[in-house]
Amino acid sequence: MARDPDSKVVRPFAFFRAGVQSDPSAARRPILVFEDVYKYFRRDQPTLRGVNLTIERGEFAFVTGPSGAGKSTLLQLVYRKHTVDTGRILFCGKDVARLKPKSIPYLRRNLGIVFQDFKVVRHWTVYENVAVALEILAMPKRLVRSRVAEALERVGLAGRGSERTENLSGGEQQRVAVARAIVTEPALILADEPTGNLDPHLAIDILTLFEEINATGTTVLFATHDHSLIAKRDHRIIGIDEGRVVEARTGLRSWPGAEERAASDPASGLHAVAG
Amino acid sequence: MDFKTILGRAKRGLREELRLYLVAVSSLAVAFLCVAGVLLAVTNLSAVAERWGRSGRMSVYLRDGAQPDDVTRLRVVLEGMREVESVEQLTSEDARRQFLEHSDVEADLAALPPEVFPASLEVSLAEGTSVQRVASISERIGSLRAVDDVETYRGWFDRLDGLLSAGRGIAGVLALLVALCVLAVIGNTIRLAVARRREEIEVMKLCGATDGFVRGPFVMEGTFQGFASALVAVLVLLLGFALLRGHLDASLAALSGTHVAFLQPWMLVALVLGGAAIGALGSALSLRRYLTV
Ligand SMILES: Nc1ncnc2c1ncn2[C@@H]1O[C@H](COP(=O)(O)OP(=O)(O)OP(=O)(O)O)[C@@H](O)[C@H]1O
Ligand SMILES: [Mg+2]
Repeated sequence: MARDPDSKVVRPFAFFRAGVQSDPSAARRPILVFEDVYKYFRRDQPTLRGVNLTIERGEFAFVTGPSGAGKSTLLQLVYRKHTVDTGRILFCGKDVARLKPKSIPYLRRNLGIVFQDFKVVRHWTVYENVAVALEILAMPKRLVRSRVAEALERVGLAGRGSERTENLSGGEQQRVAVARAIVTEPALILADEPTGNLDPHLAIDILTLFEEINATGTTVLFATHDHSLIAKRDHRIIGIDEGRVVEARTGLRSWPGAEERAASDPASGLHAVAG
Repeated sequence: MDFKTILGRAKRGLREELRLYLVAVSSLAVAFLCVAGVLLAVTNLSAVAERWGRSGRMSVYLRDGAQPDDVTRLRVVLEGMREVESVEQLTSEDARRQFLEHSDVEADLAALPPEVFPASLEVSLAEGTSVQRVASISERIGSLRAVDDVETYRGWFDRLDGLLSAGRGIAGVLALLVALCVLAVIGNTIRLAVARRREEIEVMKLCGATDGFVRGPFVMEGTFQGFASALVAVLVLLLGFALLRGHLDASLAALSGTHVAFLQPWMLVALVLGGAAIGALGSALSLRRYLTV
């Protein structure tokens, strides 16, 4: 499964069918670009105000900020749960906001999405929960079987396919969700507080799992407000506060004293650097 | 889109919501049974009506003490008509005997004197003789000297015809009501199924399932419910028919000379396919309202 980040993975349904794959510069182009994005849920108070952001291919980035800052909204705009009000979001060079509703499924087939509350179907087996992503692509059964087995192995659930998902522990259920997200080999994984419901020890496990996935070339956007988690790693940090990107630098850990500050006041570390 | 996967999901849905769907199917089967029952009644009634309408018959009652000469002349006139196939003379005594034969009457009726039963000429008309033609023949014959009265059985036929159109009307209204009821019940069942499967619908949509992939199984489940309800109704009706046939046949044959018939094959097919179509429509409408993809 390990792939060179620049290799052209064959996507079952490229919603950007025209252009990108045949364009030699595509591989070097950023996978995700936010251009002056505004999102209003209320007329007077935008949730996102002028977000500019570039995510390169193969990057691992934390999206962080206080509750209600707009982290989830940022990710939801990418998979078109919501649509931007002004500005553009370019995924593989294509403006996501201008996709017709009929094309949205094809956009989502190129994304892997993981949530805080797992969103697995509890009465389905582990296998069924992962296979559904491939069945949607009308993939032949034999291929589905081998790819699901492979994905389950990657998340550490090899041989557990026949168990009912509700009998699994929280951490294992989240692994099922991760397996479902990676089984289609998407270019970009959006994880919205995937460790929010897990104890700190399991949270590190899941984070490590995402890092392993990232190591095979998949871009990962990992939203979390858990600074103890962020502080343990050296990834790029995209801070959001009151709808603006207030900080986007690599390695909270590399700043002296950042870990202590994060422990005492999660938000202060960011603002200190931003100010 | 992958039909087999969708069918597989529909089957699974049927299995998981079995209780819900069984309740729906059994109540809808009762509704379909009502329609099928009325259709059966109308079918048999129209068979009777058709037979009566076709077997053109006329009874020419003779005046008491009519001269044999006049009666002979009357016969000649009748037999000379193109539409008349045969003429049979019935004396009072014959009429009395026939009456007693055909009805299980009490002994005191049997004691009635022959004079109560007028002599008549029983005329049978060619098939397809129009109602107007029968009326004009009856008028012409009625003015002859030997004739007391002419019975064309037109009144009976009119009454049966009225009954028949009422039956057809009832069948139509009932079919419409049942269609609406099926739409509502299946729509509701599907709405419940959608609510119960919110979780998996959301998962499928996040994984990039198209509209059709998400809705397809529900439409199939609705179609199957309509189909199964209509089929159960038809089978129950057939069973009831088989059990009661002997009984019904005897009374209908005595009454009208026809045999009871079951619904035509095309009617059965139409009923079952109609059930399936209404089921599909009901689920599709319900999905439009309750499943925003
Ligand atoms: N569908 C919606 N309708 C109306 N307002 C919304 C909607 N989604 C989000 N909001 C608002 O947008 C703001 C940002 O919400 P968002 O969920 O993006 O925050 P968040 O950073 O993910 O917070 P948390 O850390 O608590 O998950 C909030 O004030 C929220 O009330
Ligand atoms: Mg959130």
